[in-house]
Amino acid sequence: MSDYRVEMKNVHKSYGDNDVVKGVNLNVANNEVVVMIGASGAGKSTVLRMINGLETVTSGEILIDGEDIAHKGTNINKVREKIGMVFQHFNLFPNMSVMGNVTLAPTELGIASKEEAIKQAKAMLEVVGLTDKADAMPAQLSGGQQQRVAIARALAMHPDIMLFDEPTSALDPEMVGDVLGVMRRLAKQGMTMVIVTHEMGFAKEVADRVVFFDNGTILEQGTPEDIFEHPKEERTKSFLNKVLNA
Amino acid sequence: MVLGLKRKWLLGLLIALPLMLGALLPGKSVAAAQKTYTIGTDVTFAPFEFANQDNKYVGIDLDLIKAIAKTEGFKVEIKPLGFNAAVQALEAKQIDGVIAGMSITPERQQKFLMSDPYYKSGVVMAVAKKGTIKSLKDLRGKRVAVKTGTDSADYANSIKDKYGFSTVTFDDSNNMYQDVITGNSAACFEDQPVMQYGINNGMALKIIGKPAREGSYGFAASKNNRALITKFNAGLKKLRANGQYDKIIERYLGNGSAKSQKTAAGNAQTTDRSFFGLLKANWGTLMSGLEETMVLTVVAIFFATLVGILVGLLGVLPNKFAQGVATTFIYIFRGLPLMVLALFIYTGVPSLIGSKVPAFIAGIVTLTLNEGAYTAAFVKGGIQAVDPGQMEAARSLGLPFGKAMRKVILPQGIKIMIPSFINQFIITLKDTSILSIIGLLELTQTGKIIIARNMEGFKIWTMVALIYLIIITLLTWLSNWVQKKVKA
Repeated sequence: MSDYRVEMKNVHKSYGDNDVVKGVNLNVANNEVVVMIGASGAGKSTVLRMINGLETVTSGEILIDGEDIAHKGTNINKVREKIGMVFQHFNLFPNMSVMGNVTLAPTELGIASKEEAIKQAKAMLEVVGLTDKADAMPAQLSGGQQQRVAIARALAMHPDIMLFDEPTSALDPEMVGDVLGVMRRLAKQGMTMVIVTHEMGFAKEVADRVVFFDNGTILEQGTPEDIFEHPKEERTKSFLNKVLNA
Repeated sequence: MVLGLKRKWLLGLLIALPLMLGALLPGKSVAAAQKTYTIGTDVTFAPFEFANQDNKYVGIDLDLIKAIAKTEGFKVEIKPLGFNAAVQALEAKQIDGVIAGMSITPERQQKFLMSDPYYKSGVVMAVAKKGTIKSLKDLRGKRVAVKTGTDSADYANSIKDKYGFSTVTFDDSNNMYQDVITGNSAACFEDQPVMQYGINNGMALKIIGKPAREGSYGFAASKNNRALITKFNAGLKKLRANGQYDKIIERYLGNGSAKSQKTAAGNAQTTDRSFFGLLKANWGTLMSGLEETMVLTVVAIFFATLVGILVGLLGVLPNKFAQGVATTFIYIFRGLPLMVLALFIYTGVPSLIGSKVPAFIAGIVTLTLNEGAYTAAFVKGGIQAVDPGQMEAARSLGLPFGKAMRKVILPQGIKIMIPSFINQFIITLKDTSILSIIGLLELTQTGKIIIARNMEGFKIWTMVALIYLIIITLLTWLSNWVQKKVKA
């Protein structure tokens, strides 16, 4: 077993001539909460999506629990089973109920029987505070509720790692708190999490480590205190200035 | 890998499909006690061939070939394909012979084996009964109607520069006559006995001048069918000797006396020619045409939907080769006009594979490829219209591509596709009419045949149109009902 849940070694990504990620090295330890910040287009979402193979790497290596996800013998589906992901736009399946969304993967992948899956789904919905919405269709829910269902859907696979891609960016301000509340609880329970967010207050509060992305590279990283109170780089300072005093 | 296997399976099926169809086709040699020859003929060339009121093919040609077959001890299977299609089918060796009031010409003698002449004919010009055209000279600057591939058309084209007229081409006699009666064309050129028969049966046309290019009709067989020609010639000789030949001619053209001509005309007048009279008289025939149309439609929709979904799915697989196959399939079969595709499969493919393609199979394959290409295009489009985030969310949960497609993407895509499916079903129904070109006795072809017999173009086409509309209305209601059920 590797020391790290996630290891990224000199990872590059380019679309044609456009280099979006330029040599990123990033390790995530067990139970660690890593928050990635930076301006739009800095490459943080791309890096996050590489962790579960939604984006392929142009060069470099990504190991999950020591296993190279780009290797031919690696079953990417098995790797993804232990990596939950929450998207900016929730991406709930509109053709099935909340219960259907949460039970689909466990039952389809033969991880749980129908009854077990429903039982677990109820437990997950309780974690996100939506037990009463089990039979609702996604379209009947508010954005905040949909995002919490999406978290429950990911948790139903009992993942070792949770990835959050700007989970609150598409929400009305009054919905943000509920979603962050759920994430805060997960962090406290020791979930390994990698989060891309613009919620600086939240980052300060839950992050074990904050990583600042600039122009496709990691410019600076450290504890929340290091980054928010004593940033070393000019770019970090000016970015924080802009977002904190907006 | 599950995904890879599935892909191979799909490709395999795509390749196997034409082979399976090929296996369904009858082999080249059919062992039988009595040899059966397939004989192509025209659909609307009275009195040589036409369908009577019971939708049975009758006429001088048919009585003759049947009588000869009887004397010479062989069997014939008659295929009313239309003159042009019959000649093409003979060229492609889809059929063994053609008897369709075919003039013996040097070109035809080069391409086919021609029998001894069995009827003397000539080309005549006919004009509207009340028209002002009195001779070839009056045709200057006018339009003249001819029928594709006929000797009369050849004649008209050979003199058109001299007399300064242009020609317009029709696929069957009735449409050509109607064009002259309505005044769109000033005249038409037609074989003399055929023209005479049409006029006897109430066509408002008259013959001008003397027959030109007097020639003879002969029976044609493909070059490798010497035995058939020998039998035909021997049989013809016998019929001429025993008087049966004259009887057959008399049956359709009378003995040439004014009295017999009048009786023939009179017979035509006595039948009920009102809309409902005609509807009643032709009800059975129309319904059998409708049945063929419905069978074609249902079978074609089934296969086209199957092929369309398979190809559409190939088009969204994350595999460049599969996508290429789908794109090429759609490009080719959506790009080809349906009629070209039908003729290619029916008359072109047999010369490639060396085996006949029955008209029904050719029709189904044509529709399957064409409608399948359209279906594939909207299946592909419907899947691509589903938010890409759906696939990402499904894959991020660990679902393999196939499962994600089946459980998450397809149910959403199908909702997007339903209106297109309904639309395609209706188009398929209408497109079956184009298969009349390869002689399938579907509704449109049935209409053509009835009109060839009774010359009631307007009323019969109205009936045919109404039948199509009724069926399409029913289909639309059914579709709307299904759509509501799915949406609910």
